[in-house]
Amino acid sequence: MTEILTGAQLICRVLLEEGVDVMFGYPGGAIMPFYHALPEYPGLRHVLVRHEQAAAHAADGYARASGRVGVCVATSGPGATNLVTGLATAFMDNSPVVAITGQVPRPMLGRDAFQETDIVGVTLPITKWSVLVEDISTLADTMRRAFALAREGRPGPVLVDVPKDVQNQRIEYTPRAVAVARPAMPVVDAAALVEATRLIAAAERPLILAGHGIILGNASEDLRIFAEHTGIPVITTLLGISAFPEDHPLHLGMPGMHGEVHVNRAIQHADLLVAVGMRFDDRVTGNTAGFARRAKIVHIELDRTEIGKNVQVEVPLVGDAGPILSALTRALAPRSCTAWWDEINGSRRPPSEHFRGDVAPDSILRALHDASGGRCSIVSDVGQHQMWVAKLFPYRRLNTHFSSGGLGAMGFAVPAAIGVHLARPDEPVWAISGDGGFQMNMQEMATMVQEGLPIKLAIFNNGYLGMVRQWQQFFHGRRYSATPIWSPDYVKLAEAYGIAGYRVEQGGQIAGAVEAALRDPGPALIEFVIEQEANVYPMIPPGASLSEFIESAPEPASA
Amino acid sequence: MSDLQCITIVLDDKLVTLNAAVGLLRRRNLPVRSVTFGPHVTEGRSRLFAMIEADAGAAQRVALLFEKLIGVDEARVVPAHDTVVRELALVRIRAQAGSYGELLDVLGLYHANVIEEGVDGLVAELTGPDTFVLSCLRAIEPFGIVDVARSGAVAIERPAQGSPVPTLTEVSVP
Repeated sequence: MTEILTGAQLICRVLLEEGVDVMFGYPGGAIMPFYHALPEYPGLRHVLVRHEQAAAHAADGYARASGRVGVCVATSGPGATNLVTGLATAFMDNSPVVAITGQVPRPMLGRDAFQETDIVGVTLPITKWSVLVEDISTLADTMRRAFALAREGRPGPVLVDVPKDVQNQRIEYTPRAVAVARPAMPVVDAAALVEATRLIAAAERPLILAGHGIILGNASEDLRIFAEHTGIPVITTLLGISAFPEDHPLHLGMPGMHGEVHVNRAIQHADLLVAVGMRFDDRVTGNTAGFARRAKIVHIELDRTEIGKNVQVEVPLVGDAGPILSALTRALAPRSCTAWWDEINGSRRPPSEHFRGDVAPDSILRALHDASGGRCSIVSDVGQHQMWVAKLFPYRRLNTHFSSGGLGAMGFAVPAAIGVHLARPDEPVWAISGDGGFQMNMQEMATMVQEGLPIKLAIFNNGYLGMVRQWQQFFHGRRYSATPIWSPDYVKLAEAYGIAGYRVEQGGQIAGAVEAALRDPGPALIEFVIEQEANVYPMIPPGASLSEFIESAPEPASA
Repeated sequence: MSDLQCITIVLDDKLVTLNAAVGLLRRRNLPVRSVTFGPHVTEGRSRLFAMIEADAGAAQRVALLFEKLIGVDEARVVPAHDTVVRELALVRIRAQAGSYGELLDVLGLYHANVIEEGVDGLVAELTGPDTFVLSCLRAIEPFGIVDVARSGAVAIERPAQGSPVPTLTEVSVP
């Protein structure tokens, strides 16, 4: 049955067609027709953020936690450009997001009109597709295609730019009768499967490197079965964290720049790496010339452009991780890696973190875990705390760790947690930030209050932009240029926003504050005043290989 | 081993697709020798032709990245030595009475055609590989070049070598 709708109404209808029930946005002149139509569609919940960057991060967080497409909305010009960091984050971390932006009316395009920005041009390199809707007749199919592209294959963000006059135009709308089938996954090369099987069977020191693709491809169960069948140790990358239970005896840890020494050592001594849904990011490999030089690499990856991009691959297996892992499991006889495990375990050493003071990151993260028995989602920001959150919280449940991995966007945690909470309203969501990253998007506390979102905010306050300060300490002669950072009184700030706020300055206060925050029915904030110059250890210096690690700060040069 | 690689991309004829394709090429951080853009034989399609310095693997990855772009139908890599490359140059030359004949001799040597003549000079049309075009430009420089418009390189794969195309007499007629 066809109806006559405005472009704005049509966008709402397609959103409903696509199963959208929540979106994050901010109105403005060029998107006003859409906001005028929105109240007619009560099935579409709109979360008014306080900055468009937060809308994009929240849509990203929602997508990561729900596995569905996240939607953000902004007006033209500054509204659209404010989305950019969030879209770039989603692009780097393969999060399916659709951004809808208003644009100046078509007759004004190209005339530097008020709030006109070529947002399609701006976002071309950070989206899977960026499109200006030039004709109302293409609007419905463009929107549908945007959703299909965002979620299909290797997911990512798509931007649809809709001029104001197109939103106001009227057109016949026909609901889509049948859902479009998802495109078929690439067929895996049978010969490559045989070769991979042979390499895995013959390897004496194999490792699995599991990345975000395991979560995106719903392959965690296939990974577990494959690992248990072969006994191969499982390393999870930063975005692969929570793709494999960390209390599983086969879980080894996180690799790379801040990976534990025995994990990186295992990589350097391995004779085979089975890399699944990961892209050999430089934070994982260190200097590629010295990366895993004894290892052959089997790379299971959906995106064939990743094969051989950063490291040489012996056997590429291009396709869907789950079925490929299952096929390998079927083809391989059960085996174990006892001698290899003995070697790895023999190289384990006490953690090289040595925190001073009792409000230490490990104590805080233990308390967060214990207070909910691990039944919570953790959204981290970027910097030192991000590494502590990655390494010191025991992730046992699938897809419970969220972080801006590829882009490393400070300010991610607070707004992304809004999206994670809306995808998982029934369990606690912790947004953990440093004092730097928190101040980048702390305005979103207002969003939480207005929308009634009981997100728990944890700030690791060390008075510095800690990771940059650490690099200055290690590599720039302790010249702390522009890294000391002042913070407001967070407890009073929380009070100003009308939410509970706690300051923890002594170890004995940690558990009580965490429990009180969790008990509070609304949002709550805890400021943890941590050691000012705590460092993340171990550390591979930038440009060095995984074998060259730092476990203590260099002595200050004498005057 | 870096080598000269030709990438032929067939894409829709929208400027935004061209924009995306050129942006992708720029972002790969590989030395780009030449980029040309023109209509494809299929209506509504264009052809982007890029010559880059890269090893075969890197060039292949660039082609695969092009194929991920919405609006790109096909991207293929052909090593430069397997292609015939030509460019067109239009050269406006000041013609002086005393040296006119000599200029025509030089142009003839390079099979260049005079396509326009006026009171203050002429326009010559020249086709060939870029080295040939540059060589010709050097040869006519002393006559006084006013302006040069170069098309950039276009290329097409060579026909297979080694198995000759059958001549008419070799084709059996039933």
